[in-house]
Amino acid sequence: MRVKKSFHSLTGKLILTIGTLMVVGSLLFWFFLFKHQEKELLASSVKYGYSFVDYIRNSTRYGMLTNQDLLIQQTVEAVGVAEGVQNVQIFNCTGKIAYSSDKKMVGTVIDKNAPVCLKCHDSSGPAKVTPSWKVTKGEHYRVLSIVQPIYNEFSCSTAACHVHPKNKRMLGLVQADLSLELLDKSIMQQGIAITAYVLAFSVVISATLCIILWNLVSTPLTLLSQGMRKVASGDLDHHIEIHRRDEIGELAETFNAMNAELKKAKNELMNWGNKLERKVQEKTDAIHRAQQQLVHSEKLASLGRMAAGVAHEINSPLTGIVTFGHLLLKKFPKGSEEYEDVEVIIDQANRCSNIIKGLLGFARANTAEKSPTNINDVLGSSLNIVRNKADFFNITLVTNFDPSLARIKADAPQLQQVFLNMIVNAADACEGKGTITITTKNVKEHDHDFVEIEFKDTGYGIKDEDLEKIFEPFFTTKPVGKGTGLGLAVTHGIIQEHGGKITINTKVGEGTSFIIRLPALKETS
Amino acid sequence: MSKGKILVIDDEDIVRLSCSRTLVPEGYELKMAKNGPEGLKLLEEESFDLVLTDLKMPNMDGIEVLANIKGKWPATDVVIVTGYQTVETAVKAIKLGAFDYIEKPFTPDTLIATVSNVFKIRNK
Repeated sequence: MRVKKSFHSLTGKLILTIGTLMVVGSLLFWFFLFKHQEKELLASSVKYGYSFVDYIRNSTRYGMLTNQDLLIQQTVEAVGVAEGVQNVQIFNCTGKIAYSSDKKMVGTVIDKNAPVCLKCHDSSGPAKVTPSWKVTKGEHYRVLSIVQPIYNEFSCSTAACHVHPKNKRMLGLVQADLSLELLDKSIMQQGIAITAYVLAFSVVISATLCIILWNLVSTPLTLLSQGMRKVASGDLDHHIEIHRRDEIGELAETFNAMNAELKKAKNELMNWGNKLERKVQEKTDAIHRAQQQLVHSEKLASLGRMAAGVAHEINSPLTGIVTFGHLLLKKFPKGSEEYEDVEVIIDQANRCSNIIKGLLGFARANTAEKSPTNINDVLGSSLNIVRNKADFFNITLVTNFDPSLARIKADAPQLQQVFLNMIVNAADACEGKGTITITTKNVKEHDHDFVEIEFKDTGYGIKDEDLEKIFEPFFTTKPVGKGTGLGLAVTHGIIQEHGGKITINTKVGEGTSFIIRLPALKETS
Repeated sequence: MSKGKILVIDDEDIVRLSCSRTLVPEGYELKMAKNGPEGLKLLEEESFDLVLTDLKMPNMDGIEVLANIKGKWPATDVVIVTGYQTVETAVKAIKLGAFDYIEKPFTPDTLIATVSNVFKIRNK
């Protein structure tokens, strides 16, 4: 299964959007939390700074009251070496560093424009000193500077040293520079930890989202789109295997139902198409058959008309030839050459007469007089005619007549002509020895009842190229003088006139079956 | 003494000649007519035992000749000679009173047999 993995896919977009929101949200949350914590930590450092400066003031108070500079300086130095303390300085009112944890700085006068002075002094006027703090950037870490004023107290002005007059409000200030190294280190560690948390959180959330979306959205959507592609390419048997109760499951179910409907509709359409094609083919065949029959009937009718005319014209001269031939025959002794010659004349005249009779069959085929007829009877009388002929002495005639054979509406003499023709042809095909099987039975085709007569011989069969021409007038494979080529043409004409049809099953060397099918008579019992 | 008087009506010379060459030696007296009206005229003049008439002739066909003879001379027998016998015309001819019919081309033996059959029955 191929699933799109790019950010153009639905899953990619969702993951990107939700992931970004998660990262940005977390960053903002942690940023503000971090800032708040930093502020709190700084406030507590400032508070500690003030306490520290207060502690210096209190520690040096006695030294100041007793004006013991060395004590004060030693105290300041002792405090100045404490951990995290960078510098402790005590200024007097003139800006001179009176005491400092860094001995070198003692006595240094600070310019009034120095930042520490500007805290209390503006460009003119007396100082208005309030406790203050400031954070500056140190060499490695930030530095918290705490400035606390030293006010003139009653005990100061009344001390034995009388250094400070009574009316002086401020005596100096204490400044302590405290390193924020611990604070900065802690903040940096917290920052790293927070970044790591945010990243880990984002990765876990993204992965979880990815798995959930993959299973819930991507996989079923891919299955659906694959299914749609298959259906579009014509595979209507495709079934999407998503069994869920959510919207996607419903979509798959609807898709499968739609597919089934589509298949049903397509099958119906195809069936209709096939049916239509079949009907068109059937109708075309029927029209073709009707046309052929019409052409054939017209051919027969014109041949019949011609035959009637020819018969009339030819039969009279033939009568003369036959009569005078016979008269001449009486004048020669039997066995003489002349006698035999005259016999040839008579034979040939008789042959002409037979051709004429065959031609007349066409004229008769179009003028059938039909009445209810039992085919078995007609076949029986036809067989009686041929049975005693010399040609049939070595031929076995087998009959399988159905005693319950339906009657048909037919011209019995014409059918007898057909049957005689069939039997004589079969005997000719057998060349004097073999079996001719005649079978009759009732058959049903397309809800219509028919009577079927089969003439089966064990003769030499019919070649494929002859089959097409077999019903054409004057087509014969028999030796000259033996057949006129009109028998099957007349037979075909008569069977068509009776609304029937002839089919041939043949195999060269094995024999031939002529199957005649005629519509059965609907008789009310 | 002839065996009987026969009138042959046929428009074909060869058929008339064939009949005379076959039947005269057999002892029959023959007269010829080339068509229906000529035959009927001869019948008006003299009586005949048998008329052999062709079926298809110009002016008047054999069926009409037969109808005329059977109307006026019922004692005279008629045999139809036809070049293209069909069941209908044969049935029609027999119904109108024809004795029999002969198909062309006929052999002398067939003609003699048919004619002698007519006289055999007439003489009974």
